[in-house]
Amino acid sequence: MPPSQLKQLKASLRDGGLLGPQQSKKQKQQNARSGVAAQNRIQRNTALQSIRDRFNPFEIKTTSRPKFDVTTRDVSKKTSGQARPGVTKSYGEEKRRQTLLQEMNRRNKVGGILDRRFGEDDPTMTPEERAAERFARQSQKKLRKESMFNLEDDDEEFQLTHKGETLSFGEGFNLDDFQEGDLGAEEEDDDSEFPRKRKRVLEDDDVDLADMTFDDDAGEEQPERKKSKNEVMKEVIAKSKFYKLERQKAKEDDDDLREELDKGLPDLFDLLRGVKAPPKPEPPKDDLATMNPERAALLQGKTPDDTEKEYDQRLKQLTFDKRSAPTDRTKTAEEKAEEEAQRLKTLEEERLRRMRGEELTDSEAEVEEYDEHDEEDGEESDEESVFDDAKAFGLQQPAETSTRPELGVEDEDDFIIDDDLVETRSDVSLSFDEDEDMQSGEGSEVEEDEDEPDDELINGLSIPEFESGDAAAATNGADEVNDGLAFTYPCPGSHEEFIEIIKDVPMQDLPTVVQRIRALHHPRLHSDNKTKLGRFVGILLQHVAYMAEQSDHPPFSVLENTLRHIHSMAKSHPESVCQAYRTHLREIANDRPLNLRPGDLVILTGIATTFPTSDHFHAIATPAHLCIARYLSQGSVNTLTDFATGAYAASLCLQYQSISKRYMPEFVNYSLNILSHLSPRELPDASALGFFPSRSPFASLRLNLASKPIPSRRLRFWDMTDAPEEEEQLKISIITTIVNLLSVASDLWSGKSAYTEIFAPVKEVLAHFIQALETSSTSTKGKNKSSKSPVDPIVLGTFKATLDKIIAQLSQARHSRRPLLLHNHRPLAIKTAIPKFEESFNPDKHYDPDRERAEANRLKAEYKRERKGAMRELRKDANFIAREKLREKKERDAEYERKYKRLVAEVQNEEGREANAYERVKRMRQGKR
Amino acid sequence: MPAATVGPPASKKRKNVKESAVPSSKRRAVAETESVDATAEIQRLEDQISESRKHYNNIATLISMLSTQGSAKPNVPAALALCRVFSRLIAGGNLTESSRAAENEKIIVAWLKERLREYQKELLSIIRESDPSSQITALTLCLCIVNERATHLPGDDGIWLTGLFKNVVEAVVEANNGQAVLSEFISKAKEFEDVRYYTFIQLAQYASVPRSSQTIDTLTTILSACDSIPTPEHEFESFYTKTSKNNKRVVSVKSHKKHAQEAWLAILRNNLSQAQRKHLLRIMVHNIEPWFLRPELLMDFLTDSYNVGGATSLLALSGLFYLIQEKNLDYPQFYPKLYSLLDADLLHSKHRSRFFRLMNTFLASTHLPAALIASFIKRLSRLALNAPPTAIVAIAPFVYNLLKQHPTCAFMLHRPVSDADRAAILAAKGMDDPYDPREPDPIRTRAIDSSLWELETLQSHYHPNVAAIVRILAEQFTKQFYHLEDFLDYTYQGMLQAELGTEDKPFKRVPVVEYQIPRRIFTNRLLEEDGGQDTAPGSLLRELWEFA
Repeated sequence: MPPSQLKQLKASLRDGGLLGPQQSKKQKQQNARSGVAAQNRIQRNTALQSIRDRFNPFEIKTTSRPKFDVTTRDVSKKTSGQARPGVTKSYGEEKRRQTLLQEMNRRNKVGGILDRRFGEDDPTMTPEERAAERFARQSQKKLRKESMFNLEDDDEEFQLTHKGETLSFGEGFNLDDFQEGDLGAEEEDDDSEFPRKRKRVLEDDDVDLADMTFDDDAGEEQPERKKSKNEVMKEVIAKSKFYKLERQKAKEDDDDLREELDKGLPDLFDLLRGVKAPPKPEPPKDDLATMNPERAALLQGKTPDDTEKEYDQRLKQLTFDKRSAPTDRTKTAEEKAEEEAQRLKTLEEERLRRMRGEELTDSEAEVEEYDEHDEEDGEESDEESVFDDAKAFGLQQPAETSTRPELGVEDEDDFIIDDDLVETRSDVSLSFDEDEDMQSGEGSEVEEDEDEPDDELINGLSIPEFESGDAAAATNGADEVNDGLAFTYPCPGSHEEFIEIIKDVPMQDLPTVVQRIRALHHPRLHSDNKTKLGRFVGILLQHVAYMAEQSDHPPFSVLENTLRHIHSMAKSHPESVCQAYRTHLREIANDRPLNLRPGDLVILTGIATTFPTSDHFHAIATPAHLCIARYLSQGSVNTLTDFATGAYAASLCLQYQSISKRYMPEFVNYSLNILSHLSPRELPDASALGFFPSRSPFASLRLNLASKPIPSRRLRFWDMTDAPEEEEQLKISIITTIVNLLSVASDLWSGKSAYTEIFAPVKEVLAHFIQALETSSTSTKGKNKSSKSPVDPIVLGTFKATLDKIIAQLSQARHSRRPLLLHNHRPLAIKTAIPKFEESFNPDKHYDPDRERAEANRLKAEYKRERKGAMRELRKDANFIAREKLREKKERDAEYERKYKRLVAEVQNEEGREANAYERVKRMRQGKR
Repeated sequence: MPAATVGPPASKKRKNVKESAVPSSKRRAVAETESVDATAEIQRLEDQISESRKHYNNIATLISMLSTQGSAKPNVPAALALCRVFSRLIAGGNLTESSRAAENEKIIVAWLKERLREYQKELLSIIRESDPSSQITALTLCLCIVNERATHLPGDDGIWLTGLFKNVVEAVVEANNGQAVLSEFISKAKEFEDVRYYTFIQLAQYASVPRSSQTIDTLTTILSACDSIPTPEHEFESFYTKTSKNNKRVVSVKSHKKHAQEAWLAILRNNLSQAQRKHLLRIMVHNIEPWFLRPELLMDFLTDSYNVGGATSLLALSGLFYLIQEKNLDYPQFYPKLYSLLDADLLHSKHRSRFFRLMNTFLASTHLPAALIASFIKRLSRLALNAPPTAIVAIAPFVYNLLKQHPTCAFMLHRPVSDADRAAILAAKGMDDPYDPREPDPIRTRAIDSSLWELETLQSHYHPNVAAIVRILAEQFTKQFYHLEDFLDYTYQGMLQAELGTEDKPFKRVPVVEYQIPRRIFTNRLLEEDGGQDTAPGSLLRELWEFA
């Protein structure tokens, strides 16, 4: 038979070391000091707990049967053996009683007083902490100064400002002892009452304060001892006085220290001035906090005038110091050249990269742009992916990486020095900076703004003079023509206005006018000028096209100068210039795609020099290419002027591609068509010559070989508009141009793998053409017996030379031809079906390779868990509420029952009495009888 | 009650005419009272006729009024009145000859018939000659008479086949500036199935003799307008004449189709101009072929057209393919012919997209010999070298699809030379393209031994998008196929629009501006400073052109 419960308990207590010999007082104190006591207590508690558990086995929940040990079981949750449903239940119950029950009881009830004093019910805070926190809040509230008409605050503010400087703290410190003592009561007591009640409040609070602290102190040491009230009061007063004294002492010490520090301030200022970048001045609030009235008085010792003067002086000193600090040493000429070369090199590299279609900076943005581009195309998503794929692939283009001839590095130097279009030296660098900025995809605004104040003082005013002087140098013989010109012109808002402005200006002076408008409206002179000039650029472009279409052909020097102006402005206003060009292109595309006007051609020529036409994609160059190609492939070929326009467009094509050497099918088609139509004899059927489509003019425009020789000349721009005077000469000139162009094209595209296919038809056509020339000239020779060929032998010579060149290049192409090897890709991996094994698999970890899915799963699990928890809680809450209600109802019922019983009893009582009385009376009556 | 028996269309028409007559008489009332009198006179004459037989002579008067009014403006009220009169007479059986009738009755009937004939003749001449509104009125009146006669003179089937309707159709076809009357007629024919049926018959007869090209155009218009081809279980419901319902032939789908087919055949057999042939080929699949009970009858026409070459062949393709597929037409030269269609102008023609769609169908079979496919690929890439960007955009995915379907052809993109001797020869001499562009038979062009240098070159096409699309051929072929439809139907205008948009939008990235301002664009400014050598950008232009 096991021993009795009591015996068992005792035995276990002894085993747990809880029942031992009592410690001596000294030992206890020692333990308390060394912290052993606390540890002992913890040990004791755990031992007690285990003993309790052992003696109450129903507290602990045990799993009835062990679970199999499978890999996916959560080993970490081994707490199942330790679960104490009873404890948790009672804990939950308790918590609900505190929260839910309170709420329930308070439901549908209005009013009540809430103790909102800070830290009132917080047992973790010591009264000092509480007081300090309250004080901090109080001062914060004051600083906020909620209302202008708050008299209470105003009162204080009035006292504590001096010359706009708040001195509240200087004086505040004098009142320090009051305030600190006051803290506890501040929430309850109004400030206005403060002086009147001061004394009492102070005492009360101090008592309070001391009481609490002492209580705490005493509580730990000797909880049981009781003091008399008198004793307590005395102690309190003594303590408070002691504290007060100590505080005052500390404050005085602080003041002394501060004064000492203040003395060192001028030195500190000197030190500060010497340093390049002054450290941030301390926030004024701190300053004020530490400032004392003496120091304030010291600072205010001088008259305000003096201070201001000194302040100004120092400020000036500071600014000049900053400026005069040298940043860099002056560079030598070699270094400059080196730098320049470096810059050009980077620019060139950048250009090449763009040509290859790569993006160096924010490629994502570009991809986005591409996507949008696709959307505009109305293409399906699969095609979008085509573009993206292509983009990824487009990085390697061996055919196109040939470097461009280094266009004079020294050239650039000259350009800066004597180019009349760039206003000042600084502006040049500025604009280049901008250029680079733009390429790296950043806004140029910031840098410009930063630079602006620098230049403003130095040369802001001098810009106009500089410019006009420069302009005078720009136009040849400017001195005479300058006379009739005004020095100021308004910035036009529309093309009509501009025409109105320059109505009386001779054509030659237009560049000067443009110079002056630009100078007068330089962005540095007024903030509006940037937008104004932006508009002006657009107008200028319109005007170039307009000028080129005038019947009195304006000199090309003017057009050129204007275009260069536009180019120069494109550096500062890239947006507006590009928009203007695009607007013009749009106009061409919509209004006259197959009927290019001289103005359009001038604009297209301008594009060739203003924008890098070699770029893989360029917002202006690409549509310009399309415009030209469209004209070449669909434009009319009915008159010689058409041919001349076509020849010009073809020249433009090659001009555009002179660097990137991209292939333009339209050019070849058009050239061959012109040749076959201008040939003196009909060439054999076009299909026999090659695969170029042929279009025929309405009327035959064949070269008419008359007896007299036809000299060839350079084509003139105005051949495109003016009716030809000497048709035959024009024809032979066009032919010469086309042949020259073909020769250039042959050079450009000699590296292409399909050179043979492109130029075999050209060779055929040329050969036939030359043959036709020769045979017809011999036939005319035969007929007219004249010894001279009607075609200039030099011209014929160039034709033959071109033909020979093409033949040579064809054979070269044949030599270099190899079968295509386009698919040297790494072969695609075959999909593997072997499952992937995880070393040291942990069932808790998730091995989903898809990050997003894993994240989603995690969230889902969390949600599920939370949901379950919330539902459980709610259910328990509902149970609790139901229970409580039932309890309340029972109480109410019991109450009612009691009351009822009481009443019944009362009534019965009364009735009984009455009955007794009745009985009595009855008996009396009976008795009478 | 003669008025009640008049057919519904006629009564409707009469109302319309009355309505239109009221404002006109009002208008004229101020200026001239004569026309009012004339109208009143006509009304009076008409009333008299309906009152008693003895006023039958008024008919002659009315007809004379109709005809004497001359060419300027036909007397519409008279025509209307006559129509009413005759309708009543026909409905009343006054034009029916009964064998038991008295002699004088017979004389009257004969006389009336004579008058009716005269009246019809007048109406037809109005259709032929007069102004559009009168033409339409006359047409309506004619059809009204036809309706009356078909309804009330049983056994008068000839009215549709040989009688008045035939003349009406002829008149409509031959009418001067008859656009309005033609469209009116077409709307009638579309609405009423019996009218359409008899129209087919009449047109087949009419087109059996060679006609002028203008007439054929008109006939084609009428026929192609009748595009609601009845399905085999179609129920004919809307008839112009009630009696048509009882006519077995009219309500049979088969006979409908038969006559339509005959009409079309008659037109196809006529001497067609090239443009007409193209037009017919264009509408062939949707408008013509469905009418045919025996589409093989089209075979001759289609093969002839296919052999013409050029755009005509292109157009004949789809019809021919239909026959090959559905009707088992044997056309051994189909692929060589198709191959021969790939000429220089194909990619520049407006039928390009149509051709690509068809070719996509024709070459869809994976059982076609690889050599044939290779020839097509090679030929297309040759053509692409001279093609507009819009065509190249279609060719690249098309070639991709073909290569994906026929992996044997992938050698055209990737042909490693493993033989050392051959490699040495290649290094020493290079090579020619083994492809023979002049060989008409696509099997024998040796294209499969060639490489697609052309498409490789087009990877550096001037247009970035085109270049990007062509580059898919150099990528790994991971995509199953490209939807060809997405790449067709591009135009220069569309591409430009895509580049430029329709209005100024702020740039996402500001376009790069050339960093060097050139010294010269047109002129030889400051040339001597560069030592007389013009190497700056734009030098090519300045060299070739004189800017002065």
